[in-house]
Amino acid sequence: MNKQTRVWLVLSIALSLLALGNACSKETTNKNGGTTETAAGPYSGPTGAIAGVISFSGTPPAPRKIDTSADPVCGQKSPNLMTDDTVVTDGKLANVFVYIKDGTAEGGKKVGDYTWAVPTSAVVLDQNGCHYKPHVLGIQVNQKLSVTNSDQTTHNIHPTPALNKEWNQTQAVGAAPIEQTFTRPETLIPVKCNQHPWMKAYIGVMKHPFYAVSAENGTFEIKNVPAGKYTVVAWKEGGAKGTEKTMEVTVPANGSGKADFTFEGGAATTSISPSLQMMPALELPSMAGKH
Amino acid sequence: MNRGLNRFAILVACATFFLIIAGALVTSNDAGLATSDWPLSNGQFLPPMVGNLFWEHGHRMVATTVGILTIALAVYIRVKEKREWVWKLALFALIAVIAQGLLGALTVKLLLPLAVSAAHATLAQLFFCTTVSLAVFTSRSWIEARPVSEVEGVLPLRYLCTAALLTIFVQLILGATLRHSAGWDKQLPVELIVAHIIGAVAVTLALGSAALATLRRHKGVTFLTRPAVIALSLLVVQLVLGVTAYLTRLRSPNDPQPLNPMISITVAHVACGALVFVTTIVLTLRTYRVSKESKVTRWKSSQSIYAHQQ
Repeated sequence: MNKQTRVWLVLSIALSLLALGNACSKETTNKNGGTTETAAGPYSGPTGAIAGVISFSGTPPAPRKIDTSADPVCGQKSPNLMTDDTVVTDGKLANVFVYIKDGTAEGGKKVGDYTWAVPTSAVVLDQNGCHYKPHVLGIQVNQKLSVTNSDQTTHNIHPTPALNKEWNQTQAVGAAPIEQTFTRPETLIPVKCNQHPWMKAYIGVMKHPFYAVSAENGTFEIKNVPAGKYTVVAWKEGGAKGTEKTMEVTVPANGSGKADFTFEGGAATTSISPSLQMMPALELPSMAGKH
Repeated sequence: MNRGLNRFAILVACATFFLIIAGALVTSNDAGLATSDWPLSNGQFLPPMVGNLFWEHGHRMVATTVGILTIALAVYIRVKEKREWVWKLALFALIAVIAQGLLGALTVKLLLPLAVSAAHATLAQLFFCTTVSLAVFTSRSWIEARPVSEVEGVLPLRYLCTAALLTIFVQLILGATLRHSAGWDKQLPVELIVAHIIGAVAVTLALGSAALATLRRHKGVTFLTRPAVIALSLLVVQLVLGVTAYLTRLRSPNDPQPLNPMISITVAHVACGALVFVTTIVLTLRTYRVSKESKVTRWKSSQSIYAHQQ
């Protein structure tokens, strides 16, 4: 066997093994390049809810005034714009993203093993008064995000994810909504406008629909949760990566699990570990090491 | 020697310095992606200069002006300058400014990857160095310079200056990488801060040695001592600016938006760094100039015969 023949033989064997390995793989590759786990199908068992209140103890940081004068449109529309990273009303904290991070539904399967339908309706992020509304929002993987511009000035929308694809798109006055999707779970993706650097929003991208954002009175409710036991996380922005609080919650069938969280004054500047930030929204044993 | 050409070269060098300041303002204001277009901004030649587009599009306008000035300088040198190597350097400047424009485009299109942004900032300094060198080479003092004696038994001054120059260049790369490694709302990586501080110590030692050796060995030779004194003074200012820039930058993640004094001090630090670099280039080139003359004329006297001492 000459040298050339040997090279071709080795290449053929390597390619065959590669093809075989690929065919035997448990995962499939979706059109966006992401990987999809073998799903257990839709969940059809009993459900309940998770509800709670987000409190803030101690003295909250005073909102700081934003100087919007760099753009006259912003200056006129929002002359008294304030920061909204810690919005506390009567000791209750708004804009906290609460979600199921992990857990097992009745029947013994992980909540992430089920297939959760992607809503057909888009989640809207509006730019109004040179300010993102809402400030914190949740969206499911592959659900449409519709970004609208209600201002008489040009914005650019620039999410800076760690796991999803980064993009930066200009949106002129009166332009059609920008529609985008995120293909991987990620908590949370910062969104900024490089035209107006004070504009910030956060998007939590989840594989399942079990998330909520606390209202001005600190309340939240996650409905239609499969009965089971879960690790619930409350995320608040602040510092480099935000702050997380974790709680184990049991959801009874046709009942409600309670998940009250309290963030302390000064906690906003406490960073969580980078590894926690990089974690996907749902930690599943079978997904380990695939990001 | 053509006085008009020299003045034009100085104009291009000054415009380049202004461009470096404009670029630093883009970074400090987090305006690099204020538009997703390139070379147009939001599809327009002259968009409304509001918000951060003022900095980003303003930077592009200054860069375009410097590009045009560089083309004009290259043509001017081709027509008036007899030294072929000066023309080649002008050609290099032209290629550098084109490459710099393309790197600027890549920063926008690739969403400010660290390597590209740092390369863009580093090439800016190299381009500035080239335009200043052209101003030096076309100057009267360069043409009419005469050799000066070197003290025997010690490291030649030109080698000391070259070492200082290379140290500063490495420090500029470190600074550019540090600056572009995190936006105003995030803390800078500690390892890069430490590297930049070590670089500052190295620059202080290298440039301090070169400048003090210049002052000690060539007292009264203003052709050499002037850039040495300026470089030393700028180094002191730069060290102070570095410390204050770090302190203001440390606080900026808690601010609702990029604010002064962080913006003005970090921009001043970049600008002063560029001035330290080019002043050292002037000093280094001049040390080579007088030492090269020395070789050509086989001049061995221990006394300076430099003709430009006033």
